[in-house]
Amino acid sequence: MKYAYYPGCVAKSTASELYDSTAFVTNKLGIELVELTAASCCGAGVQNEDNSFLCAVLNARTFAMAESMGLDILTICSTCQGVMRQIKKQLKDDSPLFSRVNETLAKVGQKYEGKVKIKHLLWALLEDYGLEKLEAAVVKPLKGLKVAPFYGCYILRPSEALEFDDHEKPTSLESLIAALGGETAHYDGETKCCGFPILFVQRTKAFQMTARYLTNSKQAGADLVVTPCPLCHLSLDTYQIKAEKHMESKINIPVLHLSQLVALALGAKPEALGFSKHMVPMEKALHKLKP
Amino acid sequence: METQEAVFRILRFNPEKDEKPQYTVFHVSIDEQMTVLDALEKIKHEQDPTLTFRRSCRSGICGSCTMKINGLAKLACKTRASLEVAKHEEVLVEPMENMPTIRDLVVDMGEFWNEINRGKPWLMPDETVTSDITRENLLITAQQQVSSKLADCIMCGACFADCISRVFDKNFTGPASLAKVYRFVADPRDKGGDERISPLVGMGLWSCTHCYMCWSQCPRDVRPVAAISELRTQSVAKGDSSQGARHVKVFMDSIYKTGALNEAALYLETLRLGVLKDLDLIVRLGLKGKAPSFFKKAIPQIDEVRLIYRLAGEGKR
Repeated sequence: MKYAYYPGCVAKSTASELYDSTAFVTNKLGIELVELTAASCCGAGVQNEDNSFLCAVLNARTFAMAESMGLDILTICSTCQGVMRQIKKQLKDDSPLFSRVNETLAKVGQKYEGKVKIKHLLWALLEDYGLEKLEAAVVKPLKGLKVAPFYGCYILRPSEALEFDDHEKPTSLESLIAALGGETAHYDGETKCCGFPILFVQRTKAFQMTARYLTNSKQAGADLVVTPCPLCHLSLDTYQIKAEKHMESKINIPVLHLSQLVALALGAKPEALGFSKHMVPMEKALHKLKP
Repeated sequence: METQEAVFRILRFNPEKDEKPQYTVFHVSIDEQMTVLDALEKIKHEQDPTLTFRRSCRSGICGSCTMKINGLAKLACKTRASLEVAKHEEVLVEPMENMPTIRDLVVDMGEFWNEINRGKPWLMPDETVTSDITRENLLITAQQQVSSKLADCIMCGACFADCISRVFDKNFTGPASLAKVYRFVADPRDKGGDERISPLVGMGLWSCTHCYMCWSQCPRDVRPVAAISELRTQSVAKGDSSQGARHVKVFMDSIYKTGALNEAALYLETLRLGVLKDLDLIVRLGLKGKAPSFFKKAIPQIDEVRLIYRLAGEGKR
């Protein structure tokens, strides 16, 4: 298995622990990644609100670079994945746009053919690598851990562009957690918005969203939350200490990136997974892991 | 046709005798084709005539029978009961969110209609349109397709009910209202212009999280969230200087300069003095080595990105 790797801006900056734990997972599983170092930011659903054509061309440039390598794209960010798959669908459905985008790309010597596939690591693990094989690779099962899945938005909606999992009742994270030996804690809010997109605009409302869903996950008995999106992680972990001020009591639930959870089960030393960079400590949850 | 016994768990509320809503369980024999509305009718006719819900056309046109079915706002007449059972083992039926319940599954949609009215949902015609009434004002197909898709809205309230921003922000006018605004903004016969765009910031234009719930739940595929993005583009073009618009501008600049997102710049330039509220957090992030650097190296081949900016009409940069 080999992919053109698009880690996204956040994993290369504030969430470097996600980048590092992904490297551990892919090394361990023999998944080869060739990083698209010259690719630009996907625009995160924001850039298109100023100039949607520009955003389409820049993403098509990224697709073209992967196509010229003969590889599909792997992301570790739900938002990148959602933006890129939506633009891919737009270009497929709108042939005049497809032509205009390619006319512009030609001027920088690139050509997008429409062949590349875009996958989140979650999807690649489930569909390309296979859960049975992953289960066999687990050396430290997550026995005794109750994990609350936080899907967020961009890995599920709009489903006709993403074509992954059932947006009404997703099961991908639950199957992954089970393959890693853990137990899933279900709660109201698994597929809701973490609040991050309005954090800079409607701060209090964003915190209220974050606090409500985290509190629900805790009340469902979860030891930790796992998310496939580093932007959700910023909201749920980094801003948790701010968000919990809108609740009567502290929330104090650790939030893991998907790659960190997988790496843990594949035998990575917790010290190597960057938990020290999280706002909410992971120690209590680690103690619950049965030896 | 195969039939099965299905469990319908319905949230009931009778303001004359109940202090708070409570669930009642009904067992209904359903076949593969029956809709949730068919099953509710069956319960009403055969088990409990007091069960109250709205319905009219039964064909997904009138928008009356929206309710929360297994957690999501849907038209009961367009939702097959057997598929819900296959997915959730039961059919959990509750009144729509974001609107007060009158009785059982009937909600007061007053707030929804107030929000629709805030967007002035009528054509403000140009004089050239009204001056000669003997002449038809035809649109070209591409223009017609945009406003026609938006005009498909049947005002069922599903997007409003499942809008997460509306739950926490009562000033946010909601997806249906903004989709309706864009229906007229995108119509070349309408001359609302500034009168339509300038009130949008006050109506919560930047409060949408683009969670895509409205896109998913719309039974007519109106895609309100896409309309909201279009309105934001127009608002930015008209000189919107609110925090939301600044956020978009910093994104644009950041990708032009380095090809990547500069998180530190995004944060500082969007929030400005607002960052003072986060001083404690910034210190902790710094100690943990998680604070993003303000100085970013450009990606290789940044010239390609900048040329694409110019070719895509961002020449002034």
